[in-house]
Amino acid sequence: MTTAVPAAGWAGALLGLAGSIVLAVLGLRAQRRPGAVRHQQLRAAVWCMLGGAVLAMTALEVALLTDNFAMSYVAETHSRATPLLFTITSAWAALDGSMVLWTLILAGYTAVVLRQVPGTDDRLGTGALGVLGLVAAFFFGTVVLAANPFEILANPPADGPGPNPILADHIMVALHPPMLYLGYVGFTVPFAFAMSALLLREGGVEWLRRTRRANLVAWSFLTGGLVLGAWWAYEVLGWGGYWAWDPVENAALIPWLVATAFIHSSVVQVRRGMLQAWNFVLVLATFALTILGTFLTRSSVVVSVHSFSQSPIGPALLAFFVLVVVAGFTLIVLRAERVASLSRPESLASREGAFLVNNLLLSLLAFVVLLGTTYPILVEAVVGQQVSVGRPFFDRMAVPLGFALLLAMGIGPVTPYRRASGTLLWERMRGPLLAASAAAAAVTLAGVRSPGVVAVVGIATWIAASTLRQLVVGAPARTPAGVLRMVRGQRGFWGGQLAHLGVALAAVVIAVSGDLAERATVTLDRGQSAGFAGYTVTFERSEQHQQPDRLVTDAHIVLRSGTDVVRVAEPRLNSFPGRPQAVGNPSVWSALGQDVYVALGSLDPERVTLNLYRFPLMVWLWVAGGLVAAGGFWALGGPRRRTPVETSGEQPLEKVGSDG
Amino acid sequence: MGERRRTASVVIALAVLGLLAVTVVALLTATRPAPDRAQDLAERLRCPVCKSVSIAESQSDTAVAMRGVVAEQVAAGRSDPEIVDYFRARYGDWVLFDPPAAGATLALWLVPAAVTVLGTGVVLHRMRQGPAGSPPALSAEERERVAAAVARARVAGVGEDDQP
Repeated sequence: MTTAVPAAGWAGALLGLAGSIVLAVLGLRAQRRPGAVRHQQLRAAVWCMLGGAVLAMTALEVALLTDNFAMSYVAETHSRATPLLFTITSAWAALDGSMVLWTLILAGYTAVVLRQVPGTDDRLGTGALGVLGLVAAFFFGTVVLAANPFEILANPPADGPGPNPILADHIMVALHPPMLYLGYVGFTVPFAFAMSALLLREGGVEWLRRTRRANLVAWSFLTGGLVLGAWWAYEVLGWGGYWAWDPVENAALIPWLVATAFIHSSVVQVRRGMLQAWNFVLVLATFALTILGTFLTRSSVVVSVHSFSQSPIGPALLAFFVLVVVAGFTLIVLRAERVASLSRPESLASREGAFLVNNLLLSLLAFVVLLGTTYPILVEAVVGQQVSVGRPFFDRMAVPLGFALLLAMGIGPVTPYRRASGTLLWERMRGPLLAASAAAAAVTLAGVRSPGVVAVVGIATWIAASTLRQLVVGAPARTPAGVLRMVRGQRGFWGGQLAHLGVALAAVVIAVSGDLAERATVTLDRGQSAGFAGYTVTFERSEQHQQPDRLVTDAHIVLRSGTDVVRVAEPRLNSFPGRPQAVGNPSVWSALGQDVYVALGSLDPERVTLNLYRFPLMVWLWVAGGLVAAGGFWALGGPRRRTPVETSGEQPLEKVGSDG
Repeated sequence: MGERRRTASVVIALAVLGLLAVTVVALLTATRPAPDRAQDLAERLRCPVCKSVSIAESQSDTAVAMRGVVAEQVAAGRSDPEIVDYFRARYGDWVLFDPPAAGATLALWLVPAAVTVLGTGVVLHRMRQGPAGSPPALSAEERERVAAAVARARVAGVGEDDQP
């Protein structure tokens, strides 16, 4: 019994590998000669992939839940005392298991693509399935050869060390990694369709149209994953921040930036026939960067607070990255004459001009983040010197680019296509500009003295007011029903506006919580008090609680406003048997207006050192992230529509140009 | 009507300029608290025993001790470069999270500038070239399809989405 489960998991991975190789061969063959392959054969291959991945993932979970220490992965990442939730999440909390989750999600996306390929006449679709098969073959191969969690141990241990303490501490481990993976892996679908279109020597918007949904799903999930990751870091790591420009964080941010650029530039191609070749480049770059990001986080080349795993799959991922980049760019260059754009923007002062600026800014931002992240690795590899690139560098690059992006966000959506006159722009922008300058003046007079905060508040108000104005002016009737009808009719545009509002709100919170934060370090004896941010902070006592898998030592820190107790903060230290370093947990008191964050510096029964922070408006950052992701899902639309007339406003060019 | 609109425009323009002027004057005349030099410096120094965090963000004993040294030296009136050099002499360039624009990290600062110039140049170049040739002429049948599509869109009652 103990060996049956790992054997089943291993068999599942092999089945998936076989299915994906067959799919790659058949799919690419079907694209060349549609008659040579039957649809059912493709379906069988995809079902093998999906079935194999499900079997592997199930075996992993069953082995963890049944304390099957004969399996290598369980012996390395599990212990009998691990609570149920963290036993389940252990399946992706270490490298080998996370690769199994990767194959499962990729097989799931492939199955969805299969449903949209009606027959082998659909050469774009069969080719995409072939490319998906190739990518899946790589990942199933990794599970089978390099990161095999199903090895059977000859001498199973009686108990294991348990999961990494940081990954066995918070509900977020159940949400953040799967969401991030749904995003990361989802970008394989647009990549597959793009490569398929290039193989077919077919430019045009067909591949864009067919991958729009997959791309938005992936982007929205990646957005959600990034925000949850930031929130998680803020809640548990205890240094009072949510973003450290750490290599692992950057690895997820860079593809997000490029994918965001692609969402915008694909609109330009669909509407105006521009940026065809550029769209291929962006899709290829997004996918390649997810592989590079996985390489950075899964090999030991970078040192990171989030690096939980190191293994031999690093070289394999690097080789795959190089292969993807070389093959992809070669294909784009070979098809250069097919993918050259038909038209050029007439003027920078136009919607397409604004999109171009947006793409330039997002690409630059992605590039500098990539440069800063990989530079230390490159320098060490080339000259052998150790250097560090951290927050000061990234902030100095990201802040001006971020401001430029916010400005573009204010101007772009009100600018018409082709050419905008000054009169028209002034007409549309004067109201929002008035609101923006009023907001800037108001926060200044309210006592804010940071120019950065004032500028961000002003620009964000401008963006919000401009959206509001469009809601009112553009609606067929100025009633809630009329507005709803418009917002439903043009999901792409209004989903985008919702995401813009989220980004504007996020910018305000980032500026305000950073510039107006208060911080202090205090050392208190038992019973002693100190003042912080208008509160009296008292160290009352320290307690120890023995839990099944850990020893928790907490400090009771009482916050008083006047004489009223408003909060008892209980920052903790968790000690796990067999792990030398205790893991701290800050206490975060979130309210609508501010967070009070109490982290332990050191803790004795009679004496405590506390790091205290007050972050204004912090909660709204997570709300803002939710708005951005919600914008992506809104743009995705409700139920699929059949007739082209109803989808008006989204893709008129495609309607006119491609349904013949 | 036109007269009233123009008046409204002028009033709004003046109000915007006035409010911005108030903001700028208030910001320029404001007395800002002196920057927390010790905190700023701590954020620029990498914690030697941690993974990739600065000494401002780490709770490790080493980082706490280094923060203490930074605070002492600030209190003793040493300048920022002096304090940074003090740590650099002990730990090497590796300790600087804010890499200097010299030596092995010079390219880190030059490359983004070069790429920005290049990217802006490419965008502007494409603009100046203007449209790549005139649009291809449509056949009568194609014109009919375009007209029909426009009519359908009108009937559907949804305006252009760039028309707020």
